[in-house]
Amino acid sequence: MSAASTSLWRQRLFGTPATAVVTLLLAAAIAWLAIPMIRWALVDASWRGTTRADCVTGGACWVFVKARFGQFMYGLYPQDQRWRADLAGLLFALATAAVVFAPPRLRLKAAIAALIVLPPLGIWLLAGGFGLRWIETREWGGLMLTLFISVYASLIAIPLGILLALGRQSQLKVVRLVSVLFIEFWRGVPIIAVIFLASLLLPLILPGGVGIDRLARAVIGLGLVIAAYMAEAVRGGLQALPPGQREAATALGLTYWKATGLIILPQALRISLPAMTNEFIALVKNTTLVLVVSILDLLGIAQASLADPAWVGMNMEAYVFSGSIYWLICFALSRWSRHLEMLGRRQHR
Amino acid sequence: MTRAFALLNDKRVRDVVYQAALLLGLVALTVFFVRNASENMVKAGIASGFDFLWRNSGIDVPFVLTGYTRSSTVLDLFWAGVANTMLVTVVAMVLATALGFLVGIARLSSHWLLSTVAGAYIEFVRNIPLLFFVLFWYFGVIAALPAPRDSVSLFGVAFLNNRGLTIPLPEAPVTFRWAVAAILLSWIAQALVAAWARRRKERTGQDAPVLAIGLGLVVVLPALAVTWASLATGWDVPVLRGFNYRGGFVVIPEFVALLAALVTYTAGFIAEIVRGGIQAVPRGQTEAAAALGLRPGRILRLVTIPQALRVMIPPLTNQYLNVLKNSSFGAAIAYPDVVSLFMGSALNNTGQAIEIIAMTLAVYLVIGLAVSAFMNWYNARIALVTR
Repeated sequence: MSAASTSLWRQRLFGTPATAVVTLLLAAAIAWLAIPMIRWALVDASWRGTTRADCVTGGACWVFVKARFGQFMYGLYPQDQRWRADLAGLLFALATAAVVFAPPRLRLKAAIAALIVLPPLGIWLLAGGFGLRWIETREWGGLMLTLFISVYASLIAIPLGILLALGRQSQLKVVRLVSVLFIEFWRGVPIIAVIFLASLLLPLILPGGVGIDRLARAVIGLGLVIAAYMAEAVRGGLQALPPGQREAATALGLTYWKATGLIILPQALRISLPAMTNEFIALVKNTTLVLVVSILDLLGIAQASLADPAWVGMNMEAYVFSGSIYWLICFALSRWSRHLEMLGRRQHR
Repeated sequence: MTRAFALLNDKRVRDVVYQAALLLGLVALTVFFVRNASENMVKAGIASGFDFLWRNSGIDVPFVLTGYTRSSTVLDLFWAGVANTMLVTVVAMVLATALGFLVGIARLSSHWLLSTVAGAYIEFVRNIPLLFFVLFWYFGVIAALPAPRDSVSLFGVAFLNNRGLTIPLPEAPVTFRWAVAAILLSWIAQALVAAWARRRKERTGQDAPVLAIGLGLVVVLPALAVTWASLATGWDVPVLRGFNYRGGFVVIPEFVALLAALVTYTAGFIAEIVRGGIQAVPRGQTEAAAALGLRPGRILRLVTIPQALRVMIPPLTNQYLNVLKNSSFGAAIAYPDVVSLFMGSALNNTGQAIEIIAMTLAVYLVIGLAVSAFMNWYNARIALVTR
């Protein structure tokens, strides 16, 4: 470190008496908190072995996470069938990459093709039928289930949210009123109540004998709520467009849907994308609530693993591991959202 | 036929047709759902209607603010749940606002380490699910606290252990009601004095000693009232007897965990709102105020904060509504809020799904509307007046 930068740091941290006091207090607090944490998580941790007896060093017992890694990822999904979940995840990742990196002219077509092919393909891979062994949703779990719920709830939420946002801006009074009521209702009630509601009411209001899978109920419930939030994100984009855009489109003789599909939505969605990404982050975080209807996503598996008598007292390890995964996913997404925002701002200038 | 098509080309006719179709579709869907529901309910032998509310509930609630006991009615159970929801919501709102302002201002500090620590805190809590924090505080922190015998003592009157927080309880609550009345009265007086001073300043330009009077009315008088009340009554201080504390009031661990989770999580979001609000005030405002000779403290109080508040109120309202809705996360650790008591226990006992779900959702919609109405009123009051 050069002398100039050293003196700059000294100025920054110890420039005035008040600064120095704050620095010392914070440094003491960090040392008091961070040193035991690092000792526990890294220095004193046990990494090798297969059973609880291998954890003798007094720190974190990562052996536990290693032993239960499969469950954290897949829940109770049969071990010899886990390639199906991996394949489904890989296909979704490839399709997303293909859409994102496709040349702009092909992007819309690629997205539509992916949306038609992938969702049924994913369900077939995970659930089975037509040559694949049938696996009840009861056995799904872990990170795989967290991602499944997030993706499929957005497949309901995004199109419905766009329609609701357009409805809220519509000239037609009834359409506007219905959209506003729908959006405000779902935004006003807690998501946990919606999940209860979906799991109790959906079987009740469908014709007798139509069974509906409890995972599907949770996905529908979450999808409806997130649609209301997505609608507000899209509305922001719609409101940012100058009204002249639609007027010009109408003047050129385009119908409402042509003007919307070709002129309004492409621009509005680009502006709303950061806000929609933030709603998606909220969705990923809220998938954890399926735990209340005993569907075991990543957090649910972590919570359930605490009851294993062979691994008593692994609370901290389970929470630190699952929490880190949530943090990495959400942090990556929020960085991407911020990146999109910066990009949009630069293009606007 | 051709005439019908020609009519459809008329925009007004088309609009009416579309809207009528939408309404018809919604009505048909509702009828379909209602008919299925009533058939399914007949099959399952569930009665409909709200008569069940006056039945004996028979459900034990571990944490009651109202006069509820297990022989009270189901309706009383509902109110007990609403009261518990309100309690945790209000306390969490106040504490999260305080912590959020601290962290948000620290984030903007020119002290490098302070702003980095604040930034790390914000990035940490915002990217982790709230339910994670609820479970973590409950099963990771509170459960790991010592047993009552080795409680963490707070000034020798309150005790924190794995059965919750035991706090002293006044023996004569009436005295405290007088103290609360005195506090409310002095706050109202303060509001009146402030309004009078503002009007006088507008008329004559003279400053009234508002700060001194305000300090007296907002801080000193309430402090005196509380001190008097706590001296005038005896206190039921918790004492260790055998394996647990006797006396006092036990704040259950579920409340402590839920509150801690709500406060630490929401504060991360409020901090970002505070930062955004303060940064939205143009630098020129601060510079102009400084050029006029105002000291930094007065710049913050008279120029920056009032303008920042205007930017902050709408997103802050959203956060308050989130706290209300998120208080339902307590259901995951069996905090007896309205969701877990009413949508959980009462629904299990009575099977009246539709009525119970409707009542529970109505609670959130009504309280939510009240909160946003208050915040909108406040927002209108501090809004920029353009003449």
